[in-house]
Amino acid sequence: MNQTQQPIKNRLAYVIPDRKQWPIYKLSKDKKSFLDEVVSKTEKSLLKKFHNAQLLNDELKSILYKEKNRLTKQAWKSDKPEESIFWGEIKKKILEADKIDDSEKKFKKSKKILHTILNHYSNEIVANFEPKTHKFARKILPWVFSRLTNAAPGNRFKWLWASRKSLYEKLNITGPIDQIRELSKKGTLIVVPTHFSNLDSPLIGFVIDSLGLPAMTYGAGINLFTIKLLSKWMNNLGAYKVDRRKKNQAYLELLKSYSAVAIQRGAHSLFFPGGTRSRSGELEEKLKLGLLGTAIEAQRINLQNHTEETARKIYVVPVVLNYHFVIEAESLIKQHLAIKGKEQYISQRNTLAGSYKIIKLLFKFLTAKPGMTISFARPLDVFGNNIDAEGNSINTIGQKISIKDYFVLNKELTIDRQREGVYTRELAKKIAKRFYTTNTVLSSHLLAFVAFEIVQKQNKMLDIYELLRVPEDEIEINIEELKIEIEKVKLKLLELKENGEIQVSRHIADKDINHIITHGLKHLGVYHAKLPLKKKDKTTIITQNIKLLYFYHNRLNGYKLEELFQ
Amino acid sequence: MIYGVIGAGSFGTAVANLLAENADVLLYSRNKKTAIKIQKTRVHKKQELHKRITVISNIEEFTTKCSLIFPVVPSDSFSNMLEDFKDYLKPSHILIHATKGLFVEKELTNETVLTKEEVFTMSELILSKTAVVRVGCMAGPNLAGELALKQPAATVIASPFDEVIDQGQKALKSTRLRVYGSNEINGIELAGVLKNYVAIAAGILSGLGYGENSKAMLITRGMAESIYIAKALGANQKPFLGIAGVGDLIATCNSSKSRNNTVGRLLAEGLSLEDIKEKMTEVAEGVKTVQIIHALKKYNFSAPIAEVLHQVIYQGVSIKTGLEYLMRFPTSEDADYIS
Repeated sequence: MNQTQQPIKNRLAYVIPDRKQWPIYKLSKDKKSFLDEVVSKTEKSLLKKFHNAQLLNDELKSILYKEKNRLTKQAWKSDKPEESIFWGEIKKKILEADKIDDSEKKFKKSKKILHTILNHYSNEIVANFEPKTHKFARKILPWVFSRLTNAAPGNRFKWLWASRKSLYEKLNITGPIDQIRELSKKGTLIVVPTHFSNLDSPLIGFVIDSLGLPAMTYGAGINLFTIKLLSKWMNNLGAYKVDRRKKNQAYLELLKSYSAVAIQRGAHSLFFPGGTRSRSGELEEKLKLGLLGTAIEAQRINLQNHTEETARKIYVVPVVLNYHFVIEAESLIKQHLAIKGKEQYISQRNTLAGSYKIIKLLFKFLTAKPGMTISFARPLDVFGNNIDAEGNSINTIGQKISIKDYFVLNKELTIDRQREGVYTRELAKKIAKRFYTTNTVLSSHLLAFVAFEIVQKQNKMLDIYELLRVPEDEIEINIEELKIEIEKVKLKLLELKENGEIQVSRHIADKDINHIITHGLKHLGVYHAKLPLKKKDKTTIITQNIKLLYFYHNRLNGYKLEELFQ
Repeated sequence: MIYGVIGAGSFGTAVANLLAENADVLLYSRNKKTAIKIQKTRVHKKQELHKRITVISNIEEFTTKCSLIFPVVPSDSFSNMLEDFKDYLKPSHILIHATKGLFVEKELTNETVLTKEEVFTMSELILSKTAVVRVGCMAGPNLAGELALKQPAATVIASPFDEVIDQGQKALKSTRLRVYGSNEINGIELAGVLKNYVAIAAGILSGLGYGENSKAMLITRGMAESIYIAKALGANQKPFLGIAGVGDLIATCNSSKSRNNTVGRLLAEGLSLEDIKEKMTEVAEGVKTVQIIHALKKYNFSAPIAEVLHQVIYQGVSIKTGLEYLMRFPTSEDADYIS
């Protein structure tokens, strides 16, 4: 598996220079018909489930109840005051429908209410794409960054923003970029990144723009839209709004239809298949099937409406984001342990409320010294086959495959949801696999992994929860031992790399153990108040926060590296 | 609609005859001469061929005409068969195999250690060696001889795809065969494979002249340990209680015609594996299954019957010692596989 090892050094020219030719612009221009299609698709699938007056009426009440709850108990500043008026109206209408005895008329009225709700939601989440604003946003972006950095005390990071070039060097984008750019002209891209931080969204949007790819449709947490500056930026990069508090079926189904119709209409799309951020720090293994399923459905619809030669093909592009430092690491790992150990109830708070906090985060994030690694994987078709230079599907035994055949039964293309469900599960597995093979090991991850494994070996008698409660000042790691173990793991990693099972950063591959330790220590979770690892003296390394160490360690789970310590 | 059967053995011929009740059938035989001969004589493996069956040896014609194909070839030639077919098979083909065996690339010795990723069921082999994605299997108490005599029987079609089960059921539907469905293809395949070694043990018991008590003990405990093995390999236990599990187990353990059973009886007579191999034209599947289970030991399942068979067949332990060991083996809670 050959990755382009040369990182992108500069912003690339747009594949399609005229923004008005971008699929997302066409979507935005046809907003009305697009949203109508989204709403009607949602209605159709909901009414399949709630197929009579009683069922639908009950569901409407449940939506109302949940929404009232959200507005009172989970209120955010971003909630518009009109909202409670809207739901008040809906309540009135539901009560009216309740009074109707004739079930046919009652059903009709309830359907109307559902339609109103779906229209309301669709207008709330819809993305806007305006070429002029996009152009402007793109221009001011470096300026925004430089303002942020200039605000830093003592201008410590000013050098980072001295030129645009250094920004891209910091970003460290690798992978078959030329092929992906080429495929964006031939078909519809679905970019599926790993998810670690709330700031993944703006980052990946920025990266996609930097690669010269047309803006993509993607969902971003509605809480991110509360900050005006960010809101404009994201909306113009194609983001639609997703409210994680809304868990009712109508809303979730609408989101799914939104993405599905956008893909069918050829808009490049991006979503996080893991759903939420990885709490444990591990690469995601269990992916959400709902949105992936829309990709397969869209591919089938394209093939139904066109010949195999003219049907737009869908290309899935997994991306692995890697950081030396994840801002939310501490709260993520705490939540993970709470869920796993059921220690405490975790409420879903808007942890990013307030523009000060988020700007501070963004600042920390983008100025974190070594930046981040964004590794693009080799693209797949929706069945998990590889794609050759011409965009053809190639299976594992090297055969060129016609994707229409996957939908054919007795020589005819047929619609079979259950079949597509099985394909979706397979696709999820293939994407997860590709996350693992594309993952780039950073020096800090290697260091954290080995250090935690040593600590675990020192405390063989303890289970993981007991271990994470050991007072930090009782933990010491001998540097000599660390060196020996790192050497062992490094050898194994290079072997895995040879087999195409992982990628290894240049700070590990060509450097000696001392460099890996120094580089790793310098970068591992640098901005945490309490460091995951710290040098105590010439012979010893200590941890100030064992849970954080565990979080960063987990990134290398799933490669059986822990077997080296048994 | 034309159905396809790969492999003109006795079971393949029986399956072809079943399918021919519903549609035209192409029966593929690798050997051109055999194909021509059967096509002419219309009798093969003591079975008369249905008039809707055509025997051919042209793969391209076969795969172009048939989209629903039943491969029925022994597990040790399955891989070679796929090699022959792979350039002609597409994702539009549906394959439902009826081969109860496992495939391992490695040469097996007493010291071989296998991971579960190195052991392939036939459906996994199809998926890894061809472009076919919609795969199913057919398993159950389906002794070819009895099928040929048109006696009533039942079978299971398993596949993750409902449409594969549906197509299989339609193709095989008949007043003499009840066709059940299951999505647990992995469990169904393993049930079909693991019963083979239990049948060898059953052959040993009847060879020693033991009666129904011993056989019943063997069948129930054999099923229990098959479930332990299957669970350790990540399969669902449910199929073991159904047609392809306990159903197939009872039929095979009772049938003196079964190859595995015969191996057991010959072992009880004091013959070595080499002697038996010389005597039998086709080696029984269970002999290899025992070796594979032995090589999977690190998954920590409790399978004393399989282990004793390995000692008897491959390590020169006497049947008497093996049986003593088994009777002394500590008992566990009865039926602990049902929770």
